[in-house]
Amino acid sequence: MDMNEIKEIFFQECEEQLAELESGLLRLNDGDRDPETVNAVFRAVHSIKGGAGAFGLDDLVSFAHVFETTLDCVRSNKLEPTQEVLKVMLKSADVLADLTNCARDGGSVDEARSKQLIRELEALAHGTPLPGAAEAPAAKAAPAKPAAPAKPAAPAPVAAAPNDQGFVPVAFSFDDFGGDAAAETSAMPTFEISFKPNADLYRKGNEATLLLRDLSRLGEMSILCDMDSLPSLEALNPEDAYFSWKISLRTDKGEDAIRGVFEFAEWDCELEIAELAEGEQPVAVDGEAPMQAVPFDLSILDDEPAQALGVVEEEEQIAAATALETASNVLNLASAAAKAAEAKQAPASAANAASAQQAAAAGQTIRVDLDRVDRLINLVGELVINQAMLSQSVIENDTNGTSSINMGLEELQQLTREIQDSVMAIRAQPVKPVFQRMARTVREIADITGKSVRLITEGENTEVDKTVIDKLAEPLTHMIRNAVDHGLEMPEKRIALGKNPEGTVRLTAKHRSGRIIIELADDGAGINRERVRQKAIDNDLIAADANLSDEEIDNLIFHAGFSTAEKVSDLSGRGVGMDVVKRSIQALGGRINISSKPGQGSVFTMSLPLTLAVLDGMVVTVASQTLVVPLTAIVETLQPDAASIHSFGATQRLISIRNSFCPLVDVGRILNFRATQANPVEGVALLVESEGGGQRALMVDAIQGQRQVVIKSLEANYTHVPGIAAATILGDGRVALILDVDAVVAASRGQPLRLESALAAVG
Amino acid sequence: MAPKKAASKTLNLAPVLDLNEASALHSKLTEMRGSNIVIDASAVERVGALCVQVLMAGAKSWEQDKHAFTISKVSDAFTKTTQLIGVNVDHLMAKEI
Repeated sequence: MDMNEIKEIFFQECEEQLAELESGLLRLNDGDRDPETVNAVFRAVHSIKGGAGAFGLDDLVSFAHVFETTLDCVRSNKLEPTQEVLKVMLKSADVLADLTNCARDGGSVDEARSKQLIRELEALAHGTPLPGAAEAPAAKAAPAKPAAPAKPAAPAPVAAAPNDQGFVPVAFSFDDFGGDAAAETSAMPTFEISFKPNADLYRKGNEATLLLRDLSRLGEMSILCDMDSLPSLEALNPEDAYFSWKISLRTDKGEDAIRGVFEFAEWDCELEIAELAEGEQPVAVDGEAPMQAVPFDLSILDDEPAQALGVVEEEEQIAAATALETASNVLNLASAAAKAAEAKQAPASAANAASAQQAAAAGQTIRVDLDRVDRLINLVGELVINQAMLSQSVIENDTNGTSSINMGLEELQQLTREIQDSVMAIRAQPVKPVFQRMARTVREIADITGKSVRLITEGENTEVDKTVIDKLAEPLTHMIRNAVDHGLEMPEKRIALGKNPEGTVRLTAKHRSGRIIIELADDGAGINRERVRQKAIDNDLIAADANLSDEEIDNLIFHAGFSTAEKVSDLSGRGVGMDVVKRSIQALGGRINISSKPGQGSVFTMSLPLTLAVLDGMVVTVASQTLVVPLTAIVETLQPDAASIHSFGATQRLISIRNSFCPLVDVGRILNFRATQANPVEGVALLVESEGGGQRALMVDAIQGQRQVVIKSLEANYTHVPGIAAATILGDGRVALILDVDAVVAASRGQPLRLESALAAVG
Repeated sequence: MAPKKAASKTLNLAPVLDLNEASALHSKLTEMRGSNIVIDASAVERVGALCVQVLMAGAKSWEQDKHAFTISKVSDAFTKTTQLIGVNVDHLMAKEI
């Protein structure tokens, strides 16, 4: 693994940390005062700083450092996380994201902005605390951590050495404990350590025993394991942390060395280290359980199991020798521990239990290269096709279905379907990252427009194919901009209307019948239909006397070149907004709908396929060719009768459907499958909705059925074919072309099928 | 303890009792509830805190059930780890005959 790969991993992790940072800040903004939330935020910035330091990304480090310092003030309750403070922090998170992107992709950041923020952050950290902060800490500090007996040891002071120095090698030699060890140790300081791991510590692969082993090597250690919180077997979660430890360690290595042992676990445990003053009684513990002295020879516990296996014999010989040594140390410590009989232990904090529960909800993950997943998906696609071919050939060969063959085939079919679903699920990812990006968009637009906006997101964990997620960000950003810029009113106006001056934008994702529905709702003014209508008339989109339903008027905003904003702003209003949105949604095989109530706001509803690798299609026959029409494009199918077909001009024909006329498009003619037009009465008409909202009736010869097909790119394997979006392989092994409905409809309007015509159905 | 002469079940601990093994150990122990149990820890090469937690929870539950929970043989690694992490298993050890 070369440096670039490591760096790439760092940036991937940065993305996760930034997401964590932002969601944590937003939770704080919503009034969450859980110390674990503050810790999570701090941790995110700290990790980014640490990684950036390793790669020499100085800009990132210096900004992260200032940010971290201010966050530490919040963490240590020196700074109350008020709305103002959080506003600065959220902006800082944005700048941190910019700096990260800049470090990855090059480019520059707005230096004035980051400098300004650095000043603001420093002012918060060093300046006088904001009013109201003074009395708050005492109340808040209590649930945060159990008070340390000697001094309030902050788990990781920002400025303090152990974190910033990176790994601190702990020098240790068993020779140090030679004959005169006892004499030396009497002068050594004793540390009292309280160590309570969270479930996360184990989940991240840390092992408490190894930490304790390393700790024991620093000096003389005695230990007490607190098992009070250990439940009975049935109530026990085997992966949760119940043990906690009180440790008394006599060492001359200093507190930094002790912290060094816990360096990689520090965030996942409660750790308190206190140095006992000379002559002070070490460790206070409950009466009947004296501390166990820890023997020195722990080599058998080393990480390498091979060694442990190999040295068993040798181990036994050494054991005898070490036993003596151990015994003397045990004596030393036993006397010390015996004194430590009275007093009490800090109770386990309730907050910690809660955070452990929260952590338990998150599962384990692995990072896999996307290429590998795609290759797997491709192979499964082949498997599905192959299975279909196999079934077909069994039917054709008419083995007269010996039941074992049929049963085997059915099982195979079941299995392939399951494999396909599971593989698709691998690509599925929660929409959370996209939603989080929207939070930033909202903040920035709210700032520019001077509106006060609150973004509520729901269903962030709804999963959808990664390709869909990647292509979702752009249209969503457009829509959010529109919602804030055009949808919401100015605060004064909202107050005048009796609304909350803070506008609400609600972004929701959910699964509905095999598709993902994304809803964007604002509580603004709703669509001004009068103005939209007037504008459409002015722009010659509709006739002045056209009779349009409310819904039809609302849908006018999706027309190209339509913008109702009275003055064009920086943000939106260039008139390229909603038609671009609609086109990108359609390119994903989705639909977009709008519903609006004057004075109450608008709701945009997008329905998208869960994956772009398979497609629900209608298999049709045209001029003895088999074609697949994407099901999402089809509104209805009908069998035309002669009476409803009307000629129009020389070659055009219309079909009358429920008292309206719809142009009839002969697919076979457009694609040059045949020279003359087919007789509509002998075929089937598919009513499709195309780009721009117009409906067309596509004429095909017959419908074979409805099927889920695996999309195979034509471009990648052959070349782009006008009017065809992609191809697929049917059960009989033949290639069927997937129709590009929009291109065909455009061609029917007289535009010839061109090479550059839009590729719609395939991502 | 258990006055009835119920046959004891024996549980041989796996050599590596790491983080991943804790759940398996937990279900093995849970299945063996209701009778005396003898734990053979002689093959243990590595044992983590999570597995010790499971064992101790087991000991606690067996005690509540009034069944015997005995550790018959231990490996060096097992002894040392329990010693290291301050878990006293002496009271569970089978008495020398």
